[in-house]
Amino acid sequence: MKSCAQCVIREKAICQSLSEDELDSLNAVGRHQALKRGQTVVWQGDESLLVGNVIDGVLKLSVTSAEGKDQTLGIMFPSDFIGRPFGARTQHSVVALTDAHICTFRRSGFDDFARRHPDLEHSLLQRTLLDLDRTREWMVLLGRKSAMARLASFLVAMGERVGRTVQADDNGTLHFDLPLSRQDIADLLGLTIETVSRQITHLRERGIIETPGRRGIVVLDGESLRECAEEA
Amino acid sequence: MNMGAEAAITLRMWTYYPELLSKPVPRYTSYPTAAEFGDTIGSADLQAALAQAHADVSLYVHIPFCETICWYCGCNTNRNNRAERLASYLDALHAEIALVGDLLPRSARVRRIAFGGGSPNAVTPVDFVRLMLSLTQAFCVEDPVISIEIDPRSMTTTWAETLASVGVRQASLGVQTFDAGVQAAIGRVQPLHLIESCTRMLQQAGVSSINFDLMYGLPGQTLEMLQSTLERTVELSANRIALFGYAHVPHLVARQRRIDASALPDQQARFAMAAHGHDVLQGAGYTPVGFDHFALPGDPLAQAALSGRLLRNFQGFTDDDAPILIGLGASAISSFTGLLAQNEKNTGRYQMMLSQGRLPATRGVARSDLDQARGQIIQDLLCRGSAVIAPALLREVQQSLAPFARRRLIEVDEGRLTLTASALPYARAIAAVFDAYRAESARRFSAAV
Repeated sequence: MKSCAQCVIREKAICQSLSEDELDSLNAVGRHQALKRGQTVVWQGDESLLVGNVIDGVLKLSVTSAEGKDQTLGIMFPSDFIGRPFGARTQHSVVALTDAHICTFRRSGFDDFARRHPDLEHSLLQRTLLDLDRTREWMVLLGRKSAMARLASFLVAMGERVGRTVQADDNGTLHFDLPLSRQDIADLLGLTIETVSRQITHLRERGIIETPGRRGIVVLDGESLRECAEEA
Repeated sequence: MNMGAEAAITLRMWTYYPELLSKPVPRYTSYPTAAEFGDTIGSADLQAALAQAHADVSLYVHIPFCETICWYCGCNTNRNNRAERLASYLDALHAEIALVGDLLPRSARVRRIAFGGGSPNAVTPVDFVRLMLSLTQAFCVEDPVISIEIDPRSMTTTWAETLASVGVRQASLGVQTFDAGVQAAIGRVQPLHLIESCTRMLQQAGVSSINFDLMYGLPGQTLEMLQSTLERTVELSANRIALFGYAHVPHLVARQRRIDASALPDQQARFAMAAHGHDVLQGAGYTPVGFDHFALPGDPLAQAALSGRLLRNFQGFTDDDAPILIGLGASAISSFTGLLAQNEKNTGRYQMMLSQGRLPATRGVARSDLDQARGQIIQDLLCRGSAVIAPALLREVQQSLAPFARRRLIEVDEGRLTLTASALPYARAIAAVFDAYRAESARRFSAAV
């Protein structure tokens, strides 16, 4: 993808308020990157801090502790803006959980550009505030003690981000494909893959969800799922 | 109202005893005070204290930048005339947050986050939210009370929206005085309408407790000017008021040399202002909190004062009962039961230490059991006006207490020392009697009133 005009997330991205000319000058300071699953986002040969747009795929923001322990701080989906600066010099990194495309900017360049374009600056603030809300929710999720509560919270969050409502029946059940494998989910939630599978089975047996195909999730009873998420 | 020098000598409650105020005393925002800090404390001490911090924690985040520098200010501040300098400071601050969060046990829960300065709103709202993001990710933050110091001159609607979204509940405004002439004399010009609109914006943003910092003893300031500032403050229904005496110490704070020392009110006039401020605010329905704070009855700070839960920390009088305070940013101080540790004050060296992955603590003092016991007495006297004193210590300080006892400013009954109603302006001087480091000190502090 060479130009912003062809960008698939243009209508939803942080740069939506910009004119063609402005997009061109923003594009000139940005880079498009195709990432393989498992790849870490860096600006090759440079230690700059970065921010960026997710064009497609799923990525995680994680932090590595001094002891080398890895903790996930959040998951990003298409049209999300990674406004929390990351890069080689910080302990934060952005890793592709699936094959992905993103466009990145040096933080300094992007902030300068935003300062000169009030609409973009406003969107940047709104996105960063949204990021804070989601991070708070994610930290609550990780703070939950029971495996059921963590998995159910995760499914509720996934449903909100990638789910679509199926109108076929009167309840308007929620349907989505998990963008991640069960192993990935287990890693994100700090659980074993066996525990994840067991909890999914529980939810299915209680008639709260269905699991068509390899990755499909149908939420039959959203209220009960949210109750499970609230368990201690 | 008009009060001449004659009338100022005896007020409704307070009597002026210049001989009891002649010796400068610390503000006791900590004990031992910052004057006792030495360079024997460093990264390793802070790291060890953090590893043992299995309790509730309050965070203080220091932003040492201002749009403009006021001449009276003794805070550790810089003019942020270069966005680059601010950006590299913030990068270091983010690194410190991650580092400290990493070293803290998981059982440490953050209940309060205070942003101070400088002026935290000298950074952009996006940078402020990014700091909140870092804090949320690095610490176990549980439904925190978030507070922020605001420079009304840099307040914008975007900032108000940001504070509302982040959930900031408490704000403190540097007002100092509403008198235009005095404002000019201290290099801080901010018209009344600016404070009004700032206050309104904060209230609409859901900030439920707004503090006004006010000052007496400013150059050219009269009792009438103070009175009128207090009236405006009451009209704007500030939830809390801190009424500080201006400390003119140009030998320590170079920028104060711009202030005309000959225009400063003398000690007797300062005493009259403090006393008058106390009377006016109490008359307007405010609850006195410690010796220089006031709060409306419904405010948590007033409730803490009335129920004997008031405490003292680096920001003044507080209802914050967390046993651990972690200061983040250049010059910020962390406080643990057994340790006070201050970060490097110079922002350049602060950034360098963090670029090397080191905790930036460079000064401080270990708090011995004796320090803790004395600190408790001093805090009890300043916050509750009363403290239990061991018989041996009471005998030791009897001489020093005699001048206060003779003037009926204190009473001692069965080992409990109690300040009488008229003792408030002497509370710091009485507390200083229990300061083991200040028995005969030549160090210079601000005057007690």
